[in-house]
Amino acid sequence: MLKTLGNRLQKLFTKDRDTEVPSLDTAAVEELQLTFKARYYSFRQLLTANTKTLESMAEIEKALQGYEPFSFSFVQKACGTVSINVFSMIQHMENIAPGKYGALRESFASIQSRIDALLRQKKELSDRRLVIPLEAVTSEMTDVVGGKMANLGDVKNRLQMRVPAGFVITAAAHELFMNTNGLQKEVDRLFQVAGSDLDRNLDLVSSQIRQLILSADVPEPIYNAVIAAYEKLKQQHGGQEVRLAVRSSAHGEDSENSSFAGQYRSELNVNFDQFFHFFKQILASKYSPQAIAYKINKGFRDEDIAMCVGCLAMVDAVAGGVVYTRNPLDRRDDNIYINSTWGLPKAVVDGDTLCDLFVVARDEALTIVREEIYDKAFQVICYEEDGCIRTETDADTAKLPSLTEGQIRELADAALQIEDYYESPQDIEWAICSDGTIYFLQSRPLQQMEASLPADELNLDRFAASLLTDNGINASPGTASGRVFKVSKKVDILQFPEGAVLVVEQALPTWAPLVARAAAVISERGGFAGHLANVAREFGVPAIFGVTSAMDMAENGELVTVAADLKRVYLGSIAPLLEWKRPELTPMKGSPIYELLQQASRHIIPLNLIDPESRDFQPQNCTTFHDITRFIHEKSVVEMFNFGKDHHFSERSSKQLHYKVPMNWWILNLDDGFIHEVQGKYVRLEDIASIPMLAFWEGFVAIPWDGPPAMDGSGMTTILFRSTMNTALVTGSQSKYADRNYFMISKNFCTLSSRLGYHFSTMEAMVSERAVENYLGFKFKGGAADYERCLGRLRFIQEILERYGFRASINGDNLDARLEGRRIEYMLERLKILGYLTLHTRQLDMIMGNSAHVKYYMKKLTDDIDQILAGQHTCAV
Amino acid sequence: MILQDDMEKQTKFKVLLVDDEEIFREATARQLRVRGFAVLTADSGETALDLVRTDPPEVVLLDQEMPGMHGSDTFIAIKEINPLIEVIMLTGNTSVENALELMKLGTFDYLMKPVNIDELLYKVEDAHARKQLNERKQQRDSNSTT
Repeated sequence: MLKTLGNRLQKLFTKDRDTEVPSLDTAAVEELQLTFKARYYSFRQLLTANTKTLESMAEIEKALQGYEPFSFSFVQKACGTVSINVFSMIQHMENIAPGKYGALRESFASIQSRIDALLRQKKELSDRRLVIPLEAVTSEMTDVVGGKMANLGDVKNRLQMRVPAGFVITAAAHELFMNTNGLQKEVDRLFQVAGSDLDRNLDLVSSQIRQLILSADVPEPIYNAVIAAYEKLKQQHGGQEVRLAVRSSAHGEDSENSSFAGQYRSELNVNFDQFFHFFKQILASKYSPQAIAYKINKGFRDEDIAMCVGCLAMVDAVAGGVVYTRNPLDRRDDNIYINSTWGLPKAVVDGDTLCDLFVVARDEALTIVREEIYDKAFQVICYEEDGCIRTETDADTAKLPSLTEGQIRELADAALQIEDYYESPQDIEWAICSDGTIYFLQSRPLQQMEASLPADELNLDRFAASLLTDNGINASPGTASGRVFKVSKKVDILQFPEGAVLVVEQALPTWAPLVARAAAVISERGGFAGHLANVAREFGVPAIFGVTSAMDMAENGELVTVAADLKRVYLGSIAPLLEWKRPELTPMKGSPIYELLQQASRHIIPLNLIDPESRDFQPQNCTTFHDITRFIHEKSVVEMFNFGKDHHFSERSSKQLHYKVPMNWWILNLDDGFIHEVQGKYVRLEDIASIPMLAFWEGFVAIPWDGPPAMDGSGMTTILFRSTMNTALVTGSQSKYADRNYFMISKNFCTLSSRLGYHFSTMEAMVSERAVENYLGFKFKGGAADYERCLGRLRFIQEILERYGFRASINGDNLDARLEGRRIEYMLERLKILGYLTLHTRQLDMIMGNSAHVKYYMKKLTDDIDQILAGQHTCAV
Repeated sequence: MILQDDMEKQTKFKVLLVDDEEIFREATARQLRVRGFAVLTADSGETALDLVRTDPPEVVLLDQEMPGMHGSDTFIAIKEINPLIEVIMLTGNTSVENALELMKLGTFDYLMKPVNIDELLYKVEDAHARKQLNERKQQRDSNSTT
């Protein structure tokens, strides 16, 4: 399409020149305008989708830090938002460059199918039995009998410790119960209706679901299987009726990262006549308000939690409690903590009464190092018929230790065996019956806390004199120390020392390769959602962005300590900060939802395509969505920039700028670049609505040009020689010094092809209130002097542009500078700089052999620019 | 004269908001009206199609999950009536597969609820820009064939 358009335009222009009759081909102009609008529109949409994608990726990374709870719907939404926006970017890229990057769709489809497969994953039960006797249960059966009963199965069957006889009603039974009654569909529907308002409607939704479960019938196969299991239990107890402890054993319960402690219901001393009533109560407790909230906060999918139910012969305990194999409040304390009271351990578990504490050392003799005996005025005991009762303890007994020394050591010894078996600290519930036998009722991983260490406790005030900065944003958490190394040019990358603190003005993807080698990253600008922040988090490198005057904060080689969490940078090595280990308060880590997001993120977050110059920078090499966004972003800018280069127009299809006098500047209105319809040959500055063009022009005319710099004999010789050798330097019938400049404009966009003397420059800018879409590109080429001097001028201009925040690079005899995503005021100021430079760098190549002249012009130009930016020069011509 | 021009500029184009959730529909409609859009509302796909036939909007904001006629079916029906109308899908519970299919069929965009109002406004304006662009292209094509 573009080629056809080009041919049509070519024809148009040729005809114009040949016939010398002004015949404005409005159809061709209309075509050009349409092409422009379509590309311009797609480019803007593409940039918006890119930003949205990066924001979603940042949300995913933040979630993966594990500090904040998130639900399955978050995972769906975050991954979905990324997919949709990446796909949108591909569609817009295809509009900008039709047929050129077809492989992107294949890469997208491949990545998307892998994410789909993860999100659709549903667990298949490995055992369809409805009831399993406890003596057949082991810890490998977690998905069949739930975590609590699986653990207890090991204690009974592998460790051969005393555990009451019993059976487990399995996950398959739960599934059958929910499906037989059409309950699961109704539950799903109720959750879906509540949607994102679930928090507010928690009580209502919980009550509706629990009512459904309680009023449903127990399916016959479950009923029969339970009766059969109970009959066997009776046989084990000499044919006597057995009262039961009926306990929840849901998926995820009592696992390493989620205990679900107290979230579900358990019933003690249940008479079998009442069993199915309590069975349904326990199934319904999966949907108690606190259980729903906990499930969301700990990252479980509702459909992944089957409520298994453990049924154990009730132990009529005279004493009971909990053993912690280590101090739950202090990781460094490895003593065994036994909490004990009279009666059932329920009193200890529920925390409703004072209980005795026995602390046992982990030595050979299991020395009791501490005893705290309290007045245990109340206890919970089995009621004669069924159920439990809280009753007063006999006054004399209340103050006695609830355990003998022998029992304490027996418990400690068993606890250590269990801990040893599971290879992790344990929280063990136990009971002692009237004959003194100890029964173990539950064992689960012990959650140990580590105190978080806020800045106050570190007493950082004493380092106040060393504080270099305390502003910016925490782009990647952590604390690290290293020597400052400032990077502002690509060449600096080669010299970056391993383990240094990378300090940059802008958090550009260009610096990504340095992150893995850096101790920390500090940037004056950049946000949490940027590529560099993503990379820093991926590598676990602390980073603070948005630090005012970061580049001036310390000298290269100075040792600094970066505390990203506190957004502080200190001079020197601050030991308390570096010794501070991050508290592991990461409730989400290890949860199924967390694992799911982590797996999905592997197809989204990692950035493999970093270097656009690399041969591997190809659409087919995109293996993550981040790669696709990086690739498209890079290429879209190039494609957009080429618009001005690919599309030329004749003076006759445009208007000549009349600025005081007719100028050698021609303007083609692509869309809404003029304030109103302009008749005739000329357009005046006051008729122009193009924001970027007006800013450029303001810079262009701000300070009059002093004329060509004085050149030496060799400079003049070179010009004459180059003019004869390089026909590109000759502009047809025009004088070779003539200026030919073409603007294509809309209100927020302009592209400029400029030829001033012997140099060519192109500029393209998109500037509006939507900072995310703002973009400025500038290319500069040519010169009449020899190659070295031309290159000298390019370096000269590069230095100025970099000084004012541009990213600039030189390839061959081309200078390429870029700026994007900044606010409108900043962009307009940079356009003024380009306007100024376009005029004032002409013929500066001629003086590049003279360092004094170079120095003089560098000072003059930057002083001028500073004055323009300070508003001290406006329209001096 | 100038005053009249300014007045005209303040009246933006017509947007149809289709959502069965009354609170969301009315709150969003109010925010769009405050920002100068002429807003039509419909609580179902069927009502939306009637409006598209009788009082065609420039842009449609369309809820995906509605009882009765589903958002996806409504979208396809709108495009059959008038392919130039731009449709932005709104959803609280996206099936990515479905979203991608609809994007291939030409939905303008897919926004997840709760929607950021500024983002929504940008999208509506961008959708309108695309509609104008496509209208110009269509005009150009019909001119070149006649």
